[in-house]
Amino acid sequence: MSDINEKLSALYDGELNSTEIDDLIDIVSKNIDLQERLAMLSVIGIAANNKPNKITQISKKSNLNLFSNIWFSNSITAAASILLTLIIINNYDFSRMNEDTKYSNQIASAISSKEAKSIVEQPEQYLTDYIMRVINEPDFMNSSNSIDLRNVGYVTSMTNQGYSNGKENFKLKIEKNNFGLKQIRYWRHGKKMIYMTPLKDGRVLTIYGNISLSTALTIAKTIDK
Amino acid sequence: MKKNSDDIDSVLIKKAKNGNKGAFNILVNKYYTRVYASLFSFTKSKEDSEDLAQQTFVKVWQQLHSFRGESAFFTWVYRIAINLAKNFVASSGYKKQKVNTSIDESEIEINSFEDLESIVIHNQSLRNINNYINKMPESLKTAFTLREVEGKSYEEISIITDTPIGTVRSRIFRARESIIEYMNTEIINNE
Repeated sequence: MSDINEKLSALYDGELNSTEIDDLIDIVSKNIDLQERLAMLSVIGIAANNKPNKITQISKKSNLNLFSNIWFSNSITAAASILLTLIIINNYDFSRMNEDTKYSNQIASAISSKEAKSIVEQPEQYLTDYIMRVINEPDFMNSSNSIDLRNVGYVTSMTNQGYSNGKENFKLKIEKNNFGLKQIRYWRHGKKMIYMTPLKDGRVLTIYGNISLSTALTIAKTIDK
Repeated sequence: MKKNSDDIDSVLIKKAKNGNKGAFNILVNKYYTRVYASLFSFTKSKEDSEDLAQQTFVKVWQQLHSFRGESAFFTWVYRIAINLAKNFVASSGYKKQKVNTSIDESEIEINSFEDLESIVIHNQSLRNINNYINKMPESLKTAFTLREVEGKSYEEISIITDTPIGTVRSRIFRARESIIEYMNTEIINNE
């Protein structure tokens, strides 16, 4: 039985060969205990990626109820078995990051606008789907757009079509669909962040990687020139 | 979601499309609790979430032929579940009607496991499991975390930890066995 359970664990991880898969399908389909065990592996996955205590609220200065209790955050978190935490910048102190005031004001005003409220209130199906693709599809963020970011210290990586400065690594993608975004929004997925920043021309820049908010803003500002 | 996980999903979907209900059963058991949890965030009702989750997988089975693999399988399942949840919210008379699944119920088997459903909707239970994971022996925790959280393949973990693939597989299995035992003794039996 232990051998079967080990194979089930490997099946869950996609690490069995086709013959083993066929054999195990037959066995599992006739055994309710193994089916429950498989469901348990899924729950373990949810728990392993569930780290609510480590969520960092970027801004403690503001408590804008507008953005609280958003179904999007809850459903994604539970659904994907991946911790995906919606964090929205509320009156963030951009001055500490030496960001351009005009750029900061643009973001801040967008956050408190009626439009921002409507964005939050409306079902965010498209944005949800998009974020799910960023996370789930390994090649989704592979972009044909080559953007020179050497002036801000990032070079392209030939191996994974991303950018790196040695410490921070990320991929970026520019979408024509702006998803109604008028403000930067970002999510955490494991150790990576997903930043979506509206550009002046109506497109949206998505950055996915282990980079900080200030870096993401710097890159967005560079691209948005 | 992990690449290998997507790979195995593709294999199972292909078999399910060819009528292999056992393969579909694996997919159901793999994703049922996640779907249930997301539906619960909508409905706040265990009963409705279970009904909707069942309905989701019936629809998945019925529409599987139309799944082209352009998104991850779970993303597609999730969309179906969310659409059902939206209809649920919009339908004021929903609670008066039983979930209508226009399918011979004997055609596919969709099991629900009440204990597991209970765990995934209680953050404290999930936190307890997470705390337990953090206290596991380092070798097990490392292999397990690299797989489950970082999404590394067994081969990648083997290279990172400089251990044979068989050992990696065994460590991940043992980590899961340990967590399952913890779940059974400390969470499920205490509820």
